[in-house]
Amino acid sequence: MKVEGTDDGAVAAAGVGPTGVSPFVSKVLAPGDIVLDLNSTNKVLRVGSGLRQDGDSILATKAGKLRFQKQSNKYWVEGSQKRYIPNVEDTVVGIMVDRRSEMFILDIGGPAFGSLPILAFEGATRRNIPNLQIGAAVYARVVNAHRDSDPELSCTDAAGKSAGFGPLKGGFIFDCSTGLARGLLSKPTPPVLEVLGKSLSFEIAVGLNGRVWVNAPKVATIITVSNAIQNAEFLSPTQQHIMVKKLLEDSQ
Amino acid sequence: MSHAGLRMSTNEKEFIVAAIREEQRIDGRTPFDYRRLQIKFLKEDGSVEVQLGQTRVLAVVKGEITQPYPDRGNEGSLAIFTEFSPMGDPAFEPGRPSEMAVELGRIIDRGLRESRAVDTESLCILSGRSVWSIRVDIHILDNYGNLVDAANLAALAALLSYRRPECTVGGDDGQQIIVHPPEVREPVGLIIHHLPIAVTFAFFGDGNFQVLDPNLKEEEVMGGRITITINSQGEICAVQKGGGVGVSASEVMRCLRIAAAKAQSMTETLKKAVEIHEIERAQRKIRRHPNLQNQIDTASSVPNPIKKIEVEMEETSEDIEPKQALDTERGIKDLSMSDSSRMKSTETEVAETLTEKPSRAGGRDLFAGGESAWGDDVKLTPLKGSPGTRSTLFPLDSDALVEFDVAARAVLRGGVSSQRMSSKLVSEPLQRQISDQIAAAAVYANQTSPLISEDARPLGPIFPRVGDMDSTEESDAALETKSVSQPEGTPVNFYFSGKKKPKKRGGSGRQD
Repeated sequence: MKVEGTDDGAVAAAGVGPTGVSPFVSKVLAPGDIVLDLNSTNKVLRVGSGLRQDGDSILATKAGKLRFQKQSNKYWVEGSQKRYIPNVEDTVVGIMVDRRSEMFILDIGGPAFGSLPILAFEGATRRNIPNLQIGAAVYARVVNAHRDSDPELSCTDAAGKSAGFGPLKGGFIFDCSTGLARGLLSKPTPPVLEVLGKSLSFEIAVGLNGRVWVNAPKVATIITVSNAIQNAEFLSPTQQHIMVKKLLEDSQ
Repeated sequence: MSHAGLRMSTNEKEFIVAAIREEQRIDGRTPFDYRRLQIKFLKEDGSVEVQLGQTRVLAVVKGEITQPYPDRGNEGSLAIFTEFSPMGDPAFEPGRPSEMAVELGRIIDRGLRESRAVDTESLCILSGRSVWSIRVDIHILDNYGNLVDAANLAALAALLSYRRPECTVGGDDGQQIIVHPPEVREPVGLIIHHLPIAVTFAFFGDGNFQVLDPNLKEEEVMGGRITITINSQGEICAVQKGGGVGVSASEVMRCLRIAAAKAQSMTETLKKAVEIHEIERAQRKIRRHPNLQNQIDTASSVPNPIKKIEVEMEETSEDIEPKQALDTERGIKDLSMSDSSRMKSTETEVAETLTEKPSRAGGRDLFAGGESAWGDDVKLTPLKGSPGTRSTLFPLDSDALVEFDVAARAVLRGGVSSQRMSSKLVSEPLQRQISDQIAAAAVYANQTSPLISEDARPLGPIFPRVGDMDSTEESDAALETKSVSQPEGTPVNFYFSGKKKPKKRGGSGRQD
């Protein structure tokens, strides 16, 4: 028997839907909102970023939308901010700041620098160490991101292949909010990238830490693309279409 | 986003330089384009916030009466202070000003003070003793490149909008300074001869590529920079090129020409913004009659703010004219004019007072004063300098009371022109005082009912606290509320007999 919830704070009374999933999936939460009552479901849950277990209930600690993934039974809160908090399995664009004997130290925009082991590249051996300079841009994946320790990165996927990770050559990097970065990686493709892709040829690497790398043969293309993406954050799809068309006309 | 200052990859740095070689900039500007400029005047006179792209700077101007420098006894002083708080950029450290902060303060100081843009001789109150010392505080709120240009504009706009209290010299020995509060006398602006605009260029490559108004990322990559402080007449006030890559003379000349053109357009923008602010400020100080308010409300639906104000001015001038309360609208001195000339000058004066000063519009029931822009916590004591320059209050003087009564009665009786009366018999130094008082008496006479009998002692005035007879509101308020009775036998024939010598008066003389 399901009791209807009256407001967000009264989840315990609301219980859960018939499938045991929190009724707040895809709803906007504020910090302190109770998301789920653990007594009403006996499945094993994975609690992701922005959520915390408090006794018998799960609370939100960030403002944002609640997301749920069925395959891994994972809940997390997605919000947009400028400061990046590392999470496992995030793909990020890091900038190298230091070289230690066993690892590279990268700035990924979070509270602490990330460490990238020198062997965490495809086909890397002791003899064959990738040659990264200070200031180089690297596309990497977060392997370990505990709250109390420095994040660890890797330039290979789980199977050991490079899968697009590694140093980024040339191009331009700009900063954006984490929400915009997530939006750029979402499916369906955001209109801004679609419209740009129809007339220009370029490649981008989106870091969930709020950094985007753009590359194209012509300088003007790179500038157009980076400005278009930055402008598109708060525009509706139609507005994005119009904005990009106008930018393309102006640059012609 | 990096949190410990700007973190730039080599990719970015190389790209920025490569783009500039092709005359492109990362934010889409052309090499000699300024970013979007916004000038916002804050509530207090002399506080301005300037936004140049994402760079934000706040400038505040304050004035204080101090002793002048010994070798410059008749000049006031102007000083520039800069604040680089960590709020503006994570790279700013609290404490001792960094080299960049000192350089910025120095460039602005040279442009404003050493070029004599602000007239310092008009800041002198008592030569060798008291002068106005003007202080400009520049706070960096957000650093996104080219702080110099933004800070210079903010300082200029703040100096243009600053108003200092008006002060006169008086007292027994003519050496005391009276600082008039803003409600009594309208604060007066600074005299600024020209507007020196700072224009900054950044050099890339071997110095052969220049861009105007670099943003933060371009500043990180540039090879050198030059700041040219120039006014709209094409006069160069200062040039600053500190270190960095060497630049050929022809490149510098090119920058100078571009700077001259940019300074002209920037001066236009600045003047326009100041003008709009002035109109808004005058508007805020006028409180209108409820009937007028309806007419203005309909007019205020016009979108263009400047047009709206013109419409209002015409309306009010027409409406106020026939009212009897005209007398109080202008300064006291005008009342000594003959009636015919009075009416002619009305319209121009009304328009004038509405644009330049807040008008003491209408009689007392039409204007009760707008909100004082100085706020409740303004104390005049900080405005006073050393003990020797403290302002004094005019003591209530029985002689003054007597003369006022006489004058009032005379005006009532015969409608004698105040000017004729005063010029006849009275000695020069006293003439002005008397004419002022007579003028006030005329106001009083016209204001009160005509049923005053000659025998009954008319209401005596209580003079305003600060001895300023030009303030008609004060006299009006005084006249209608208080009454003082005095014996009949006090010397009365002062003005008419001519036999008695003018009395010596102590205490309330005003220096001519």
